[in-house]
Amino acid sequence: MTTCKECEFFFSVPEDADDYKPAKGDCVVEKQDEKGKYWLAKPVSEKDGCCEQYRPGSR
Amino acid sequence: MTTVTSIDHKGKKIEFFPENEAEQDIPDDELHEHLARPSTERTRRLKARCRWKHASAGEFVEKGVSAGIERMRLITEAHKANDGKPEVIRRALGLKHILDNMTLVIQEDEFIVGYHAEDPNKFPLYPELSYMAVQDYLISDYAPQPVKEASEINDYWKPHSLQSKCQEYFDPVDLTRMYQVSTMEGPSFASGYNSLIPPYETVLEDGLLTRIKLAEENVSNAYKQMEKLPWDGTTGLEWLDKIDNWKAMIITCKAVISWARRYSRLCHIVAEHYETDLKRREELMEIADICYRVPAEPCRGLKDAFQAKWFTFLVCHAIDRYASGFAQLEDRLLWPYYHKSVVEKSFQPMEFEEVVELVEMERLKISEHGAGKSRAYREIFPGSNDLFILTLGGTNGDGSDACTDMTDAILEAARNIRTTEPSIVFRYSSVNRNKTLRLVFECIRDGLGYPSIKHDERGVKQMLDYGKFSLNGNGATQEEAHSWANVLCMSPGLTGRRKSQKTRSEGGGALFPAKLLEIALNNGYDWSYSDMQLGPETGDPRNFDKFEDLWEAFRKQYAYAISLCIRCKDVSRHMEGKFLQQPFVSAIDDGCMELGVDAVVLSEQPNGWHNPITSIVAANSLVALKKLVFEEKKYTMDQVCGALRANWEGYEEMRMDFKNAPKWGNDDDYADTLIKDFYEDILGGEMVKIRNYSGGPVLPVGQAVGLYMEVGTRTGPTPDGRFGGEVADDGGISPYMGTDKKGPTAVLKSVAKVQDNQKANLLNQRLSVSMIRSGYGFDIWKSYMQTWHDLNIDHVQFNVVSTDEMKAAQKEPEKHQDLIVRVSGYSARFVDIPTYGQNTIIARNEQEFSSEDLDFLNVEL
Repeated sequence: MTTCKECEFFFSVPEDADDYKPAKGDCVVEKQDEKGKYWLAKPVSEKDGCCEQYRPGSR
Repeated sequence: MTTVTSIDHKGKKIEFFPENEAEQDIPDDELHEHLARPSTERTRRLKARCRWKHASAGEFVEKGVSAGIERMRLITEAHKANDGKPEVIRRALGLKHILDNMTLVIQEDEFIVGYHAEDPNKFPLYPELSYMAVQDYLISDYAPQPVKEASEINDYWKPHSLQSKCQEYFDPVDLTRMYQVSTMEGPSFASGYNSLIPPYETVLEDGLLTRIKLAEENVSNAYKQMEKLPWDGTTGLEWLDKIDNWKAMIITCKAVISWARRYSRLCHIVAEHYETDLKRREELMEIADICYRVPAEPCRGLKDAFQAKWFTFLVCHAIDRYASGFAQLEDRLLWPYYHKSVVEKSFQPMEFEEVVELVEMERLKISEHGAGKSRAYREIFPGSNDLFILTLGGTNGDGSDACTDMTDAILEAARNIRTTEPSIVFRYSSVNRNKTLRLVFECIRDGLGYPSIKHDERGVKQMLDYGKFSLNGNGATQEEAHSWANVLCMSPGLTGRRKSQKTRSEGGGALFPAKLLEIALNNGYDWSYSDMQLGPETGDPRNFDKFEDLWEAFRKQYAYAISLCIRCKDVSRHMEGKFLQQPFVSAIDDGCMELGVDAVVLSEQPNGWHNPITSIVAANSLVALKKLVFEEKKYTMDQVCGALRANWEGYEEMRMDFKNAPKWGNDDDYADTLIKDFYEDILGGEMVKIRNYSGGPVLPVGQAVGLYMEVGTRTGPTPDGRFGGEVADDGGISPYMGTDKKGPTAVLKSVAKVQDNQKANLLNQRLSVSMIRSGYGFDIWKSYMQTWHDLNIDHVQFNVVSTDEMKAAQKEPEKHQDLIVRVSGYSARFVDIPTYGQNTIIARNEQEFSSEDLDFLNVEL
């Protein structure tokens, strides 16, 4: 199964962060609509199964 | 402006040409489209792409706006996972779970960052506050998705909700009467509507790390106290709840810091991986630095202060629970950081113009802030997204002028960017500097409808008077009394590090005198709307043989309604203290921190109020009945009852007699004497007898929001000559639209007669556009304000907009997006208001100043 860890939008949470947990990351995606561009970030685990936004390109 | 007014005054003809000559070529009906001037290209772009969340007739004006499911999902997960823990800890863990897991949003061009839902077009819902409000969304086009999951979440909360916990202490008949929202607003435990003033000062001055340290020390000390020998159970057990409260404060402060630092991390990621513009990259790194430091640490400069304030606002008003408002004394709150950044240039150095841009950006953040209110509450604020109102000006503790360059930057930004939110209250004092008064005037002149003006000294005295009733003997000091701001539209409350209002149960909510009079004229029965008994049986009006019988019947209806309303609010508060604690708000309040008491539970400064809305329809009706039935005996009560039941049909001559009876706002002693008694003896006199949760009296705050329209439709024909369903009066003490025929100073003379037992009273005035925009406009307005002040009137606000322009906007709304009007305690884009409401603004008299008015104001032209 493809996981979040392998996705371009996955960013690992640094070890010195307040919310650090092993395998925890931020899923950061860029969105665009008629009002403009914006970015969303939500917490995920690198082991989570990938979603429909998955784009290969792990960091 | 093609229309030029002129008057003869002191033997000469005065012509009112526009102060700005360039305006002479602008047609009257498009003036407001030429007044916006965002101060930078960035704020121009931000305004152009603003995700407005205004509602009109209960529907969102812009497409794509909807409720999000994320918050309701997260609070429910936490509630289930933490069953069995002390309730305040459970609440803290609920907030932590939301903050740890919620989606973060950053938009292009933003400098102040942070949002409260999973997408900038969405807003959160609060099933733990009101399952009825959520139910309302589930059956709408704005339903959270997936609806099935949202519905299951809502079902889960029904037995846990505030409404379920409160309603069993009431007679169902009473509650059914309240749910009609025609004599009384529905109980707050059913609506989830709330308001508070967060103690922003502690966040900006201390930072949350310091608050955590304080709480940890308090916990440590509590354990030591409990271990003292010999054990004393009569006092020792009090530490248990305190320990839980302090621990809950620590949990929430840490969660807020972590959430802010997630924003810091997101800015880094966007800067490094997505943004291609080098300048914006640098800016994102600066924002990242700010979000890492605040609100954890004390603010060091103005950018820090804006960001820390925004994070605090989001948590207190939109993430922990919903609360309307944007209450703060913003110029005073930000002045120390303005000083550091602009005057000293010691941190985040900037010029005045950059401050104006920051204020404009904050205004646009508020403009796209969505509130998950039920349809009923969307309907009562037509044209707005919610009530966002900040306060400026006034006096310091020593009586000196409190206006600063920060005040001016806020006013200048408001004038330039032209957004309806946030509205501004200006505390007027005779010592306010001319430079700032000029900016206040320019905002009013340009038709924003704000600042609304409040009497500074009256507010200070009110805070001291309420403080005398403090249950712990710690009410407002002289210094603190000078730091008041409006909690919402009209009512002052303390700001500062402690003693501010923390929940709606202290103040807010409405009852409706016009409808109460209607049922008093029907032995408590409502024939025109709900077809049920809405109040006590107070006698068949046909048997009233003297006016006092009617007066006392109304008093009984009013006394029943107001006691029920306040009982609901107090029961709500009692239950909020058990199940809806606010540990983050507690953490940032010095009183809660010192005493280990939750913010909902602790009350140091009473501030009880309730809003009579539609009072002038009732008052004018009483005047007409007294004159035509009981004094002149032209008609009998039997005839009056028959005519009203027929909605005046077949009684037109009689209706005109009642319509032409003396009316409020004309300095007519016949009307004013009775109406003064009505306000002071009944509206205020019956309220002041009540003692609420906080130990203080409750006082009336006469205002309207949009309820003057909504309740007008539910109020049958009234003896002031009004047909059933027509709108009611548009403000607490404002003359009924179109009935103030003796000019602007006659209105002031009438209003000044009501003084006792009042907390606040809204006065709407619409002034002549050509006079106010003329070269004489500022002098006339300044003299008007000084006279208003000297007459000891609580409040006034202005529309400066022409009928031509409003009618043009009705025909071609797409061409009038920048036309703003004052509705009641808030302003709205005219084109966002339903036609029914638009017509109420047009119907208000556009007051021109006659020579006699100018003489009374003692103005030299």
